[in-house]
Amino acid sequence: MLIKLERTGGFAGLRTAVTLDTDTLPAEEARKLHEMVDSAGFFNLPAKFPLPARGADYFVYRLTVEKDGRKHTVDVSDPAVPATLRPLLQSLVVYARK
Amino acid sequence: MYKNNLVKVSPSEGVRIARRTQINRATVQGIIPPHMLKELAQRGDQKQRERAFQALTLSERIRERREVLGPLATAVATPAGEKRRTVYDVKNECCDPHSPCLPGSLVREEGDPSKGDPSVDEAYDGAGATYDLYREIFERNSIDDRGMRIDSTVHFCQDYNNAFFNGTQMVYGDGDVDIFEPFTRAIDVIGHELTHGVTQYEANLLYAFQSGALNESMSDVFGSLVKQRKLNQTADEADWLIGEGLFTSKVNGKALRSMKEPGTAYDDPKLGRDPQPAHMRDVKRLPFWEDNGGVHINSGIPNRAFCITAMEIGGFAWERAGRIWYIALRDRLRRFSNFQDAANKTFLVAGELFGAGSEEQKAVRKGWTDAGINITVRAMEAIPAR
Ligand SMILES: [Zn+2]
Repeated sequence: MLIKLERTGGFAGLRTAVTLDTDTLPAEEARKLHEMVDSAGFFNLPAKFPLPARGADYFVYRLTVEKDGRKHTVDVSDPAVPATLRPLLQSLVVYARK
Repeated sequence: MYKNNLVKVSPSEGVRIARRTQINRATVQGIIPPHMLKELAQRGDQKQRERAFQALTLSERIRERREVLGPLATAVATPAGEKRRTVYDVKNECCDPHSPCLPGSLVREEGDPSKGDPSVDEAYDGAGATYDLYREIFERNSIDDRGMRIDSTVHFCQDYNNAFFNGTQMVYGDGDVDIFEPFTRAIDVIGHELTHGVTQYEANLLYAFQSGALNESMSDVFGSLVKQRKLNQTADEADWLIGEGLFTSKVNGKALRSMKEPGTAYDDPKLGRDPQPAHMRDVKRLPFWEDNGGVHINSGIPNRAFCITAMEIGGFAWERAGRIWYIALRDRLRRFSNFQDAANKTFLVAGELFGAGSEEQKAVRKGWTDAGINITVRAMEAIPAR
């Protein structure tokens, strides 16, 4: 499974990006990522979420996952991130910082 | 020209323009013009204030505006001229609308002594300095100009490298210790966030592409003015940096943005280089999914236009350059305004405030021209009849 996250925006406007290939990760980490993608129902999420009606300086995410011949990209901004997707995003941000 | 404006814009914006530019054909109560009511609501004695406030809120036009603004307009108002701040602590809880935690537990209210938690006190003091700039310099009473209570939440989430305005209140993260210090550390960040609230109530610039970059720039402009006024610095003395002090010592950078020299704030192996353009020729054409179309990137261009204008005029930047920008934000810019509109409107406002052909107006022209945007209106155009 290939996962690519690009996080932009926020007050700082910094770009935080990471690309992971679960085949090259330790088995336990790969398993966790697969689990998070599944429990987010990632391939059933809409490609785009509605804009926040108000507010500013939220993080903006573009997340792409390729798995079993399927590829899907989701564009979403805080605070509209679905609760089921948040653990995956948080964990990817940690990878990006490494 | 104003008639045209009124035809083109939405009812709520029409109200705003009519109210602010004082060209109402019918006044709110038919006797006292709304600008006078507003004046009374702010400065009259208690009775006058109450009556004026009532008249304003009861008027058909204002009601229309309240409907549009929804819950915001019903946010707690306070008698005119009073500063009311509250600071909350979410104790590093992460949350979103699915599992709400905001605003958190109340830790400091207006008049309470320092709490010993630097984040709480910085949020409190920074909101105070921002309120004071708007009140004392621009005669604006809080975020909504009606004395709305200013709410801030600190210690949001864990290792959270951000601060934001959620439409109602300000929220600050603690930073991750590796790259960022707590976001309350820089007073211009607080001025920046609170100004997002002001913008929401006034021009309501759409947070995408050029209007979004303009929205961002307004926040940087007034955030920087809060800091400059706090430090009592003239335009020449100011560093024109945004977020100075937020990077930890591990980062090679002086700040997040430079209004004076966009693109030079940081250059770090881990973070990369400050991507801000300083000139229209380098504007970044980004898709919406990248920073809402580069709102934190392209803001470098109008930021620099303001900085040059202020340096040309000289003295304290909030006195003249700041006033021009504030009036433009309050009365002239609208939801879809772009850089060109901002250049033209600030130029016209400078003419109205200081005279056509004045030093101030020339400074505005130079600011935008140096940033790559030529003024496309004439100096005398569209001065409203008084
Ligand atoms: Zn902002």
